[in-house]
Amino acid sequence: MPVFKTPFNGYSVKFSPFYESRLAVATAQNFGILGNGRIHVLDLSPTAPTLSQLVSFDTADGVYDLSWSESHDSLLVAAIADGSVKIYDTALPPTANPIRSLHEHTREVHSTDYNPTRRDSFLTASWDDTIKLWTVDRPTSVRTFKEHAYCVYNAAWNPRHSDVFCSASGDCTLRIWDVREAGSTMIIPAHEFEILACDWNKYDDCVIASASVDKSIKLWDVRNYRVPIAVLNGHGYAVRRVKFSPHRRNVLASCSYDMTACLWDFMVEDALVARYDHHTEFAVGVDMSVLVDGLLASTGWDELVYVWQQGMDPRAV
Amino acid sequence: MAMRELVTGGAACAVPGSSSSSSNPLGALANAIIGSSSKTQGSEFLSGFRSANQNGFADAWDEIQHQNQIPPHFDQFHGPRPAALPQPTLDGPPQRVLSSFLHSFVGSSHGSIPFRPTSLPLLGLSDGDKQCIRDRSSIMARHFFADKSEDFINAQVNALLSSLEIDSDARVKGPMPGRFPELEDYWNESQGMVRPGAPAVDGWITEYSQHRAAHGDPDAWAHSFEQQHGANGWASEFEKEQSQLTSIDQMRGVNIPNFEAMEQTRMLAHTLAQNNDPKFQNSKFLQFVSKMSRGELIIDDNQVKPVASGDWAAEYQQQYTGGPSWADEFAHNQAINPKWDFNDLLKLSHGPEQWVNEFSTEREQHGSADDQWVNEFSKLHVDDWAEEFGQQIGENSADNWANAYDEFMNEQVAAKQRSDASRGVYVFSDMNPYVGHPNPLKEGQELFRKGLLSEAVLALEAEVLKNPENAEGWRLLGIAHAENDDDQQLTCNKERISMQAIAAMMRAQEADPANLEVLLSLGVSHTNELEQAAALKYLYGWLHNHPKYGTLATPELSESLYYADVSRLFIEASQMFPEDADVHIVLGVLYNLSREYDKAIESFQTALKLRPHDYSLWNKLGATQANSVQSADAILAYQQALDLKPNYVRAWANMGISYANQGMYEESIRYYVRALAMNPKADNAWQYLRISLSSASRNDMLEACDSRNLDVLQKEFPL
Repeated sequence: MPVFKTPFNGYSVKFSPFYESRLAVATAQNFGILGNGRIHVLDLSPTAPTLSQLVSFDTADGVYDLSWSESHDSLLVAAIADGSVKIYDTALPPTANPIRSLHEHTREVHSTDYNPTRRDSFLTASWDDTIKLWTVDRPTSVRTFKEHAYCVYNAAWNPRHSDVFCSASGDCTLRIWDVREAGSTMIIPAHEFEILACDWNKYDDCVIASASVDKSIKLWDVRNYRVPIAVLNGHGYAVRRVKFSPHRRNVLASCSYDMTACLWDFMVEDALVARYDHHTEFAVGVDMSVLVDGLLASTGWDELVYVWQQGMDPRAV
Repeated sequence: MAMRELVTGGAACAVPGSSSSSSNPLGALANAIIGSSSKTQGSEFLSGFRSANQNGFADAWDEIQHQNQIPPHFDQFHGPRPAALPQPTLDGPPQRVLSSFLHSFVGSSHGSIPFRPTSLPLLGLSDGDKQCIRDRSSIMARHFFADKSEDFINAQVNALLSSLEIDSDARVKGPMPGRFPELEDYWNESQGMVRPGAPAVDGWITEYSQHRAAHGDPDAWAHSFEQQHGANGWASEFEKEQSQLTSIDQMRGVNIPNFEAMEQTRMLAHTLAQNNDPKFQNSKFLQFVSKMSRGELIIDDNQVKPVASGDWAAEYQQQYTGGPSWADEFAHNQAINPKWDFNDLLKLSHGPEQWVNEFSTEREQHGSADDQWVNEFSKLHVDDWAEEFGQQIGENSADNWANAYDEFMNEQVAAKQRSDASRGVYVFSDMNPYVGHPNPLKEGQELFRKGLLSEAVLALEAEVLKNPENAEGWRLLGIAHAENDDDQQLTCNKERISMQAIAAMMRAQEADPANLEVLLSLGVSHTNELEQAAALKYLYGWLHNHPKYGTLATPELSESLYYADVSRLFIEASQMFPEDADVHIVLGVLYNLSREYDKAIESFQTALKLRPHDYSLWNKLGATQANSVQSADAILAYQQALDLKPNYVRAWANMGISYANQGMYEESIRYYVRALAMNPKADNAWQYLRISLSSASRNDMLEACDSRNLDVLQKEFPL
């Protein structure tokens, strides 16, 4: 299966919502603790199992996350460790990029998510404890959501309601927001340890997954949030990212500091569907293709990006 | 709806939901034409979030959408492009050492192994860099170390920070609030407020608002914490722990017996015994373990410091041999010449007999080592004592191993006490054509003058083999090593002095304890290795033995040297004889120690006015400027040095570093190649070259670099 070596440590990988063979990778030098960053835009070769680089963009600080625009096939938003949010046009050469650099967050920006339904806006979550709402055509953020009491690691739009999103924070809460409301609509004390990631189920708009330093993933129904619907145990260290399948209602992917990526079916008792231990250092980025059923990508601090079909061994040649 | 499904393929198609994420061009088109229908389809529950539009957020939000009802056409979107945003400046700090070190830190989490402070060479980190390291490592450590105690995490982070000489700072984002019992109570309380029994689906909003009303605002819990602890509750607790940790470090500094080290090793052995996952054993983590265990043995004895740091350097290089990561950029050669092998040290300091015997007998008793783990471990360090330990671990219980190690440690402490041989060990070349030369000193001086430094080293080695008491021979040998830049030491961006140079200089000092040049060189070289105490000792010695300044250096001071005293003496000396360039040089060196780079630059500039033709002084100025992140100025200074002495390998390499630090990788490559053409044995320069090649996206030349093909490189990168 295709592998790509990045010079820096991988932080995030995302499939393009427009081209089934394209993906973007966010990387940071020195594990994102200090140094530069680079964004790679990669293409899967239609003939051979290889990934080739279309273009790359350098940044003065690590890139922690990125998300593709849902409205323009070549735009992507990058969350940079220096607190900036940068917009790149992958159709333009590096010298003409970034096309926007937005400086509002006062600390590291840890994640970004593009609104999949309204397609005109995106969210960024930062270690400055805030979430910001932006549109690509405005020089300043539309709104700042400040309620979390510690770093916000992740914010994710609801796939059906264009105004609703959830956020995961080190304050051990998951919060649900409606951008038309002044404050958060719901606070779920989801874990007893920091929550590093969250995602909405793509088929049931009331189901959220949260991933925590406590090594577990919990599934929540926002209509009755006092008890999780399911708790997925199996990772040996903090769970870094969680992502629902765009194709299967009950399936989600996760990756962890235990160096593995896992696939889960949260509705069955033996929830762990597959464990992929191809990374040799922390696995911190995982994504599932919207356009190709079962196509997975992961990246990690071993500086490798893997793309593979569910059921295959990512390392198989 | 039907139309929509036709276009998007509907729920049966790859697009999730009926229309929720129209993540394909057709879907986007469909949504643009037909308009999003999501609001009518979603569950009533989430739609019911909104009570009434009282606050205007909804209007603002809708307004945005109206403006963009149809996604702006692409070209329109970036229409008049904003006057090209400035490109990022890619000036990272010296990367190699830092990267390895951070790797160790991160790797230490794999088995939750205590991370040990290590003495590092100067990295020239800016305050901003340090803040990044401090803040990010504090936050990330709480993720890596998952369920470890707060104390443990703080200890890990503090070890990292103290090694990098970063002040721990209360402003760091402290531990996450959830760990505090008060907050947990709060959460329990808030949970308890919810009525038992499943609330009606639409009841939650009311409940939530009651809840909110009861607590005033969502930050209530934070306030309640503040009330209990005062506004700086977290910060002060954090600080308290940090200061405790600092004091532990200080204890280690004064060489309290290796109790702590043994404790750590016990834990290590324990974890290793527990973790049978071959993946973890293959990880760089294990290599880190090996490094750590070797470091333990020698690192905290100031007396053997040169060996310790040399060992440390070799360690890093060995660790990464074979690793595919970018760290292998500095691997290669170490296996060829592990100069500071631990075995050598032991032979010297107390004879090989006891521990080697002890372990080899045990090894025999335990028979063959075909255990998988052992094999993995042994691969890492083929002729290393770690191998023996590895077998121990493989065959014995962790406790057993720890006991054996304790015994060994005790012996080692005793051995150190017996042996006051505080010098580094000079390692001679195997094949030396100058052995037997009638006058190798004269030959060496001549070669040195011509700038044929590698040859000069050989001739001078022959000289000191012949006349081990010849201080001048040793001194010149030290200088030749230093200038030839063939150090095994991992330092960056610095006037680099090799371990060989230090070892030679120490022998010179032994032969002639009052030699001013030697004392000055030793003072300078210890500044490089960040050994302030040793540096101060030699600089004080220089003053004490100097005919002009001997009166300033009162003997009682020499008992306990403090930076402030020594620098005061030199300031006095500079006032006595403002025309003495040496004093200004020493002041420059001292200011480097205290990181007052501006003053250091000023001192070197003063010295240069008095001694404008001193190439090594220009190099010092350049190195200081580079450290104070004035890479552009540094290049001018290095150029001066090179104009005066075109064969000054170190200055060529330093020039390369300065260009690389400014992101001018192509330029830096040319300078590294030039330096290497003069001294192909300058291992550091090869590694720097490789990094610059990668950074400049010249991966096509990596092979030439790896095979050390200078012909190809020189043709490709002429200067």
